[in-house]
Amino acid sequence: MKVQVKNLRKEFGKTVAVDNISFSFDSGNIFGFIGPNGAGKTTTMRIISTIEEPTSGDVLLNGISVCEEPELARHAVGYVPDTLPAHADITVHEYLDFYARAYGLRGKKRTQAIEAIEEFTNVTGIREKHLKALSKGMKQRVSLGRALVYDPDVLVLDEPAAGLDPRARVELRELLMLLAAQKKAILISSHILTELTEICNGVVIIERGKILETGTIEDVLKKSAPRRTVAVRLLDAQNAQLLKELLQTPFVENARDVANEIHFDLNGDESAACEILGGLIAKKFKVIEFRQTKANLEDIFMNVTKEGVQ
Amino acid sequence: MTAAFTKLKSHFINWREWELNPIVIKELRQAVRSWAVTGMLLLFLIVLFITSLGFLVTQSFEVNENMQLGGTMFSSFVVILAGASIFFIPLYVGVRVAAERQENNPDLLYVSTLSPARIIRGKFLCGAYMALLFFSACMPFMAFTNLLRGVDLPTVFFILSFLFLVVCATNQIAIFFACIPASRPFKVLFALAGFFASFWVVIPLVTDSFEFMHSGVGTMMADRDFWIGVLTAVVIGLAATGLFFVLSVALISPPSANRARPVRIYLTVIWLLGGLLSLGWVWRMKEAQFILPWEIMTFVLMMFALLATISNSDQLSLRVRRTIPQSRLKRLVAFIFFNGAAGGLVWAAMILVATFLLAGQITLAFPKSITVSGESGQWFATTMAYAFAYALMALFIHRKFLSRHPPKLTGLIAVLLAAAWAIAPSIVLFFLNQLSWKSVEGLQLGNVFNVASLRDVNQRIYHLYFAFGWLQVMIVINAKWFVRQVKNFQPLDRLAQDNPPPMLK
Repeated sequence: MKVQVKNLRKEFGKTVAVDNISFSFDSGNIFGFIGPNGAGKTTTMRIISTIEEPTSGDVLLNGISVCEEPELARHAVGYVPDTLPAHADITVHEYLDFYARAYGLRGKKRTQAIEAIEEFTNVTGIREKHLKALSKGMKQRVSLGRALVYDPDVLVLDEPAAGLDPRARVELRELLMLLAAQKKAILISSHILTELTEICNGVVIIERGKILETGTIEDVLKKSAPRRTVAVRLLDAQNAQLLKELLQTPFVENARDVANEIHFDLNGDESAACEILGGLIAKKFKVIEFRQTKANLEDIFMNVTKEGVQ
Repeated sequence: MTAAFTKLKSHFINWREWELNPIVIKELRQAVRSWAVTGMLLLFLIVLFITSLGFLVTQSFEVNENMQLGGTMFSSFVVILAGASIFFIPLYVGVRVAAERQENNPDLLYVSTLSPARIIRGKFLCGAYMALLFFSACMPFMAFTNLLRGVDLPTVFFILSFLFLVVCATNQIAIFFACIPASRPFKVLFALAGFFASFWVVIPLVTDSFEFMHSGVGTMMADRDFWIGVLTAVVIGLAATGLFFVLSVALISPPSANRARPVRIYLTVIWLLGGLLSLGWVWRMKEAQFILPWEIMTFVLMMFALLATISNSDQLSLRVRRTIPQSRLKRLVAFIFFNGAAGGLVWAAMILVATFLLAGQITLAFPKSITVSGESGQWFATTMAYAFAYALMALFIHRKFLSRHPPKLTGLIAVLLAAAWAIAPSIVLFFLNQLSWKSVEGLQLGNVFNVASLRDVNQRIYHLYFAFGWLQVMIVINAKWFVRQVKNFQPLDRLAQDNPPPMLK
């Protein structure tokens, strides 16, 4: 499944929520869709899910246009909105059963699909509970189950981790990784960027309706932070001497003391790092840690949006 | 044609796979769990039981047999059943739909693969099933009344069938109002208005039921005229229910869908059928006045249609453009029935002019007819011209001065223009004429309401001249826009696909 967002624009009166954005991704991958509040994430996701219609541009799901053939496109996309199901007088099982029927699953196929989804999302134990009586985490699972019950190829999740406790977050993360392994194309938005770092292959950073950066995490990292940061920790905390030494070392830039560690930007490749470490040991510095700090989405996000975030 | 037949054939062959509308299943599941439904049903049964008991206890000490007891009890049950089903069921169904259609968070079922028509049908059927539930609960009590004499079985079945149809119609109307994209306070107002409007349904319904009981349906059944009257009423009721169904479907369809097409087609079909029905009555009774209900209904419906039409956007969505036919003739028909204000104006004008001409011809064909005079024709033509003039003026104002605002404002502008021109001169004249409202009955050119309230009917001709003159001016100033709309009504010319955006792997 290939998802192509092409020159998408959405206006609400005079406000431009999404301003001519284009990106694409395909199955088996999880893409993080990040941006500050009001950046246009939800609007874009709603357009991909056929809930909203663009002012111009289009989204193609394996060539099917969400503007021209939304009914057909709906079969391919499962949407988990940021609002949770709150229907009165209906149990979890009945809720899933209704959506399975609504998406045309019949007879045994429907029963099997619902059972499989209940098991997958771990809601079998609460299937007879009323929706209103569920906790936020459980509702989130039901919402995910609803989006998956007809086995869509694309999954669009809007802030699925918001308000979840740590255990629920870990479980959600595992579920998403399983889904990616099942060759689903997943687009996920979240403000908890550390969560996304661990599961996303790619990222789309959006602000004020415009794409600031897009690509795989490595690519974006290279583009937004071309110099790697290295952290050094000494046994005897002779940080002042180390700082002095590093400032005279080639390939080292912007050395600074950060929480009892010395951080510096490495202006070179890995052999340069090796050379620096060898030099430090030769000069009798008691190095107990020499590591490249792993940039995450949070760093990328802060780097890319540092001028624009209000 | 063959494809449709094959589809239908396969549908019937696979009858084992037939399933109920998912909406019906969901709604009924929710209804049986709902305290509102259970509580209402229990209350309904208690009231029926107490009423029966009251009748029986007060009758038990009578020495003479009361031959009307069954009839009296049945009348009470009809009042209770009509009250419960017309006040409660549409309210319940309407509230449920409105809750799902909240503007800020529409329910996801509206973006499932269920078609809008299937969703509305499901909601409607749920209301019908609930009505059946209430009717079934009442049935043992009603069967009991038959044993007590005073009411015959045909009357019972006739009244219950009629009541059931009315409940279904009110359900559909409630669904329509619930689908209107209004905020919660407006929906509460609709519910309140609906509650009070229900009295206008219940009171005549109960009165008519008493009338039928008094005369006995069994004795009337042999009369052909009775069946013709009943069929006419049923057909009109079904047509009205269908209209609200089509309107509800249009309201929940996505904005990019061709919302106008089914509504305009449906209105055209019921206009034609209604015309044939009225013609049948004219032919049968040899009286031209039977064309009047059709003429008046067409006029009323077209006035609403005109407001909705001018509120259409000029920009056709990709989905609509994709379905514009290539053939010039087909495109011409499509222009009239598809979304868009220009085509809608032509459609409304065609229907109104055809109605006017047909009604005129029928009046001429029955010269002895006393109730239909030339005055009604003049009134019809004048009001129609005014309506189009106001509509076109509103379109012009929106296009020239308020184009940044949504097109749905155009209908409101037309109403405000007509209202302002009716109110402002009247108030000025009221003060100029020593606080007398008599001047309101004087000639006020441009005031559409003045056409009906003129003291001197002969002055109506000035209205006619003015309205047509004004309409011509409006047609001229909108001509360029209209021609542009016709030219733009072209099938989608697919541009060469752009280079796809870079793929993220």
